[in-house]
Amino acid sequence: MVRKFGWALMAGGLAASLALSACGAGRPGDSTSSGGPAGTGAGSAPLIVGTTDKVVSIDPAGSYDNGSLNVQTQVYSYLLNFPAGSVTPQPDAAEKCEFTQPTEYTCTMKSGLKFANGHALTASDVAFSFNRIVKINDPNGPASLLGNMKSVTAKDDTTVVFTLNDPNDQTFPQVLVTSAGPIVDEEVYPADKVMTDDEVVSSKGTSGPYTITKYTKNQLAEFTKNPDYQGTYGAAKTDTVTMKYYTDANNLKLDIQNKNIDVAYRSLTPTDVESLKGVDGITVHTGPGGESRYIVFNLKTMPGKDDAQKLAIRQAMASSIDRDALATQVYKGTMTPEWSAIPDGQLGATTPFKDLYGEKPDKAKAAKYLSDAGVSTPVSIDLWYNPDHYGSSSAEEYGEVKRQLEASGLFKVNLQSAEWTTYNAERVKDTYPIYQLGWFPDFPDSDNYLTPFFMPDNFVHNHYADDAMTALLNKQRTDGDKASREKTLGEIQQKVAEQVPILPLLTGAQVAIAKNDVKGVTETLDPSFKFRFTSLSR
Amino acid sequence: MVTEIVAPTEAPHEPEPPPGTRRTGMPPLLRYMLVRIALIIPTVWILVTVVFLLMRVIGDPISAALGGKLSPEVIEQRKAEAGLDRPLPQQYGEYLLGLLRGDLGTTLTDHRPITEILLVNGAATIELSFWALLVAFAVGIPLGRVAARHRDKVPDVVLRLLAILFYAAPVFFVGLLLKLAFSPFGWPVAGRASTGTELTLSDVRPKTNIMIIDAILWGDPAYIIDVLQHALLPAIALGLLTGGVFLRLVRINLIQTLRTDYVTAARARGVPERRVLSKHAFRNALVPVVTVMGMQIAMLMGGALLTETTFEWQGLGYTLGQYLLKRDFIAVQGIVTAFALIVAVASLVIDFVVALVDPRVRF
Repeated sequence: MVRKFGWALMAGGLAASLALSACGAGRPGDSTSSGGPAGTGAGSAPLIVGTTDKVVSIDPAGSYDNGSLNVQTQVYSYLLNFPAGSVTPQPDAAEKCEFTQPTEYTCTMKSGLKFANGHALTASDVAFSFNRIVKINDPNGPASLLGNMKSVTAKDDTTVVFTLNDPNDQTFPQVLVTSAGPIVDEEVYPADKVMTDDEVVSSKGTSGPYTITKYTKNQLAEFTKNPDYQGTYGAAKTDTVTMKYYTDANNLKLDIQNKNIDVAYRSLTPTDVESLKGVDGITVHTGPGGESRYIVFNLKTMPGKDDAQKLAIRQAMASSIDRDALATQVYKGTMTPEWSAIPDGQLGATTPFKDLYGEKPDKAKAAKYLSDAGVSTPVSIDLWYNPDHYGSSSAEEYGEVKRQLEASGLFKVNLQSAEWTTYNAERVKDTYPIYQLGWFPDFPDSDNYLTPFFMPDNFVHNHYADDAMTALLNKQRTDGDKASREKTLGEIQQKVAEQVPILPLLTGAQVAIAKNDVKGVTETLDPSFKFRFTSLSR
Repeated sequence: MVTEIVAPTEAPHEPEPPPGTRRTGMPPLLRYMLVRIALIIPTVWILVTVVFLLMRVIGDPISAALGGKLSPEVIEQRKAEAGLDRPLPQQYGEYLLGLLRGDLGTTLTDHRPITEILLVNGAATIELSFWALLVAFAVGIPLGRVAARHRDKVPDVVLRLLAILFYAAPVFFVGLLLKLAFSPFGWPVAGRASTGTELTLSDVRPKTNIMIIDAILWGDPAYIIDVLQHALLPAIALGLLTGGVFLRLVRINLIQTLRTDYVTAARARGVPERRVLSKHAFRNALVPVVTVMGMQIAMLMGGALLTETTFEWQGLGYTLGQYLLKRDFIAVQGIVTAFALIVAVASLVIDFVVALVDPRVRF
């Protein structure tokens, strides 16, 4: 009896202590408690940032994705980088960069730079970093971004010279800020293979505003301020930031809702974001987004007997879509209507789709396009979308697109979907006549929304080719005069709206949810699309 | 005053070997264990061979993971570098040699050594399965006993329904309900420990990656409690599944045991019913439960995939799912092989335990 009572007492005691400490404050991992050595002051209290992004590789040669870029943004320095609020690259590890010849871009390095492991950072490290990306050419890596780089050499300890294939490439400085731009230590990074993340962390061959001090891949990463960093971002306001990786957006939502973490950055569902707007003690921050969502027309296989009929069908669809309904009803304001191939906020962005086809669906206009071209209605279209790559709301989005098109009485939509691997492989084989696609820019420049889409043999693979368009694209890309370039960009956008090879629908806003005492979130949600821990503080 | 007559416990005791059985100098238990260990080698060999062949039937892993990202020439070059252009028997030999050396390769999609995945994520799955098994015992055994004792009465009917509910309810659904129920009270519903605990325990040496052991090694009760709090809900979600099976198993075995002659004899000698149940019938009724436990471990590992995703418990099941989505069949091959090995070894251990508690098995 006594023994039984003892067991019961022990079990009861354990349960009580578990329950009490769960409901009480200051769990070891609670973001309100230190969970380790205390910070050095009120401004440097540790922060916890949560995300559902995944890291493919911290080594720049092995990754070209948001999750990896986010880590790289914190730990690597670049030749050029974007200061807060700007999309004009400024010197980071470089002192200056400029075109010294039409095909020669020269950067002069700051002196006295060093990596976190104490090794000197020289022009040789810079040349090595770019060369190894091209040499390794990892399938998950950013080598494709360096397509215009013919070679790179270190002239001396402080001078790097890039030789370009195409002259006066105004986008090249932007390329230096992308996933292809992190500078690595040539004394520790192998020239011919991608390092594992643990090797990257232990080698400390990085020189950005933070170094990684603790790391479990796709689970937890602790970033500690690098006191030697002298770059564009300035000194970090917070000494220690921990990144927590979630497998499920629902858990990320619960943790920010319960204030177990300080910031939730990418990617909550629109419904979750909407519901968090009403929670006390947390704020939903939004910033301009560069992510574009659009419908692609395969000009070869889409409905229509000839080019004129195909164009009429595209124009009729453009006149039948209600972007505002998609943005507010499906995406709860986390996306905004997109009226051009270049999203609002980018250099030279205009609104030709709104001007030509109207802000709201116009059935009469749509019907006229079709009747003028002799297209009999309703037009049957096979519309494809992907349910797993662009977020869980894609099904709802395309359900709404189908409803809008059919509401005009001019279309009969057969909606179909395929998982991403199949979808991405089949879309380039002319399998889908009309289909969903999304675009996250490589760098925040208007050209990145144009050249990949409208040059011959573009990545969309929709058989679009137009000599006049090609000439305009080449002109804007090599035009150093901003006003003249903006004019060309306007012409290009107008042409896209008239020809409708793609139908822009929505632009995604950047969203981060933070506890009210966290400062600097809005500052980092800028058009550079880089989430800087250096801006954050409590 | 009535003096209680205690009936001898019927089992376990060493039975005489059957007539005609050849006696060797080796103790039966040791001989049994050696035979089982010898048998595990071909079992594991067959398992790893099946995994290897299945992965090759799907196609070569390089094309599966990187097809569409690289040109056909580069794909061929990568296949040659990975040895996938060699004859199948040669690849198989290299695969077996790698296994013997503990080298399962590196994932294609994120450059991660597979042994590292097994050490980090595998430890998480083992820990979750352990906690779930504890819950299954805690739920299934006492409730099974209550059901047997009250056979065909209200408590029995209720418990039988409950058992069906336990193993019929989808794990992720139970997990979601638990999260919704506990989250408003501030109970941790995601991860294996709080962020601070995880950061601190990453400094433990030697690091086992099993949170509770690392927390104990660290020595701070606050961390141990934190780890236990985080384990509670996933353990319940996954453990109830097996707990339902145990409940029904204990009930039926106990009912059968209570009908045996030696229990009747005990009752005839005036042994109180409670003592008959706890001292005589119950222990024997548990033997089949231990046997079934081996199969349940495989079931737990499968159920872990859903539980791990629901509760941010980044174990092998969740990781396997991620690599399957990315068609990284090098990773899949390594993880499935590890699953097979874990289940095989767990079955071996269960066999030993059964042999220890039930001498009939040894002969």
